[in-house]
Amino acid sequence: MSAKANLDVLNRQVAYSGEGISVKTLETEIHQERTVQDNKVDELKGLRERNVEIQGAMAEELKKLRRFSDYLNGTTTKGGFLAGLKEVLSYIPGLRGLALSQRSIEELLKAQYHLSARRVKEAAAYVDTLKQSEQDLYKEIDRINMKIVEMAKNEREALGYVLELKAVQEQLKADEQAAEAGSVEQRDIQANADKVYAKLAEHSTNVLLYGSAEERYARLKDNTRKLAETIRNLGNDIQQYTTAASIKLDMASAQIQAIGRAADAAEVMLEMKRSLDVMTESMNVTTQFVSDTQMFFRSNLDTFVKDLETFDETTTGLLEENLKKSREIEEARIKAAIDKAMARQQGAPAGA
Amino acid sequence: MSIVALHTQALVLPEAGRYLDLLGRALQAARLNDTFPDRRQLQSTVDSLREGLRLGVYGELYVDARAGLPNLASFTRVATDHELAAASLAKLGPRSELEARRGEAEVFARMATKHAYLEALQRLVLAPVDQHRVLLRRHDAASGTAAFRIELTKLDASGVYLRLAIDLTQVSSLWRRKVVDLEADGETAAASETFRGMVYRCADLDAETLFVRMHGIEGVQVERVVRGVIGPVLFSLPVGDGVAVRRTMEVPDDALGRAWQTWSLGAGAAEHERPELLVAFATDSAAGDVREEKSNDPLSPLLAERLGPTEGPRYRALRERYPFKVFKDRKFVATPGLKAVAQGVIAAAGTRNIVYDLRAT
Repeated sequence: MSAKANLDVLNRQVAYSGEGISVKTLETEIHQERTVQDNKVDELKGLRERNVEIQGAMAEELKKLRRFSDYLNGTTTKGGFLAGLKEVLSYIPGLRGLALSQRSIEELLKAQYHLSARRVKEAAAYVDTLKQSEQDLYKEIDRINMKIVEMAKNEREALGYVLELKAVQEQLKADEQAAEAGSVEQRDIQANADKVYAKLAEHSTNVLLYGSAEERYARLKDNTRKLAETIRNLGNDIQQYTTAASIKLDMASAQIQAIGRAADAAEVMLEMKRSLDVMTESMNVTTQFVSDTQMFFRSNLDTFVKDLETFDETTTGLLEENLKKSREIEEARIKAAIDKAMARQQGAPAGA
Repeated sequence: MSIVALHTQALVLPEAGRYLDLLGRALQAARLNDTFPDRRQLQSTVDSLREGLRLGVYGELYVDARAGLPNLASFTRVATDHELAAASLAKLGPRSELEARRGEAEVFARMATKHAYLEALQRLVLAPVDQHRVLLRRHDAASGTAAFRIELTKLDASGVYLRLAIDLTQVSSLWRRKVVDLEADGETAAASETFRGMVYRCADLDAETLFVRMHGIEGVQVERVVRGVIGPVLFSLPVGDGVAVRRTMEVPDDALGRAWQTWSLGAGAAEHERPELLVAFATDSAAGDVREEKSNDPLSPLLAERLGPTEGPRYRALRERYPFKVFKDRKFVATPGLKAVAQGVIAAAGTRNIVYDLRAT
């Protein structure tokens, strides 16, 4: 008897939150989120190039000061005092080709100091840019988390409704068997069974779509977090280095002037060497940093970008597969949804 | 101990702010003419450092421990920020957006603050670390003579900030390739590398030594050498609740330095509540039109008076070849506690110098 089945369930509105879901809307939303990531990756690539450029320039400028130190240490020049000093001075801008006595070494060193300080400042400015990007990404993660929770809730709603429909479907099946074959009552039961089936098909699709969306958003979140961490690590590295370089420059300013003055007076050359050791140290830190950062990018960013591409392919594949599958696999989907709902109801691990 | 590197003292807030406030007001009180480095530019640098510290853009202030002035690192800090300001502001984006996100994360508050700082900074003209200028005063193409003024503003290696101006005339027919090169338009000029280097290296010498040195160059007639020197600055700044003070650490061993040491151990030792500051502003001229050869500088007698019996006669002979006279002067700006130090030095030297008053707070 169809009266035994509670058909109210057919008219009940399922309380999904958000704007509803379809393969198309899911694809659109995932695409939007991916665009945010792609933009950040592009931004990061740009920063990487500019950062390497600035670091290169910085290393080059500190190298010029370091040559002074090496020269005074007697490790790089062999042509005697004058030849050596001329060689060293040729690294300072504006001095190449000029006679030794023409320009003030103090003035040139101060100009070089200024240039180095400027480069350090340029590099340091990237720290804030990176921190801003990192904050943007964490904000994005918050948004994705809300989506994940929403998708999980909707999946739970869909699963619950599928179970209710399954119960009605079974009841209708029993009623149909009890009814006289070909009777009006049996036809009525069959008509209701068709309606239940249609609802089951619709909400089983929702179970899979919301489940898939939850999973995809979760993966998107993982990638966004990786990107944020990459940016944070790079920012920390630059901050650490520029802070160290900046402190060294701050501490070296009086030494630079003293060296310049001493060089101008052609006196106390050994003192120059001792004072410029600070610059040597700075140079070593720079070289190490450039090398580390390049390695960092090689081993992390490229892999990360590749991962994103793989993720993109997987997502597209899943969506295409969903679009391709239609009625002939609906039964299987309904069954899967019901199995999942049953499993959930019995407290077993969700599995799918 | 606040010495952090060679001749370098570090000051932090609030004493760094008090120091910069006093220094800024001392520069205004000193009524500096164009013998000295541009007062407004130096004031802008001092004010920018103070604002940078107040806003947290800079963490500390580096001061030359001998001259008591902001050192090369401090000058460079604001100068590089000034140079990069336009590009940095473009990268930071609109301040309103940063302000709106101020509460979101610390970085946005910091960026908004930096934006405000750079916006104000980029409008200023700051004190240069070094600046050469060559000004053409007269050019007589017919006789092949040209008169120039060579100006050098320099943060000297001794820590003081000075301006050196040399008025000279080139009389050689080959002057285009000599000390100063005149451009083809006959209106602009640039000092040759050699001359520029020599002026730079000799900037810390006194005017009469420079006059003699320049006059020795072939084809050049020096008319005037003028130096204006800002510094040294002697300061005493109470720290915290006044238990300790920050003072200029490496004062020169001259009459002022010794008076300062005496004050620090005597009257100044008890002064832990009020910030005190004294700044010296010296001028030194050597020129043909100076009426009387005299040093009114209590810290720097004339060269002739300092020379021994061997060098004295040689120097007098040298001077007879160059008809110029020397005048030296010095004025002070001091807070009430240090005014007596300046007055004591002046009285001991028997000079008559101006001491401008500076309010301690």
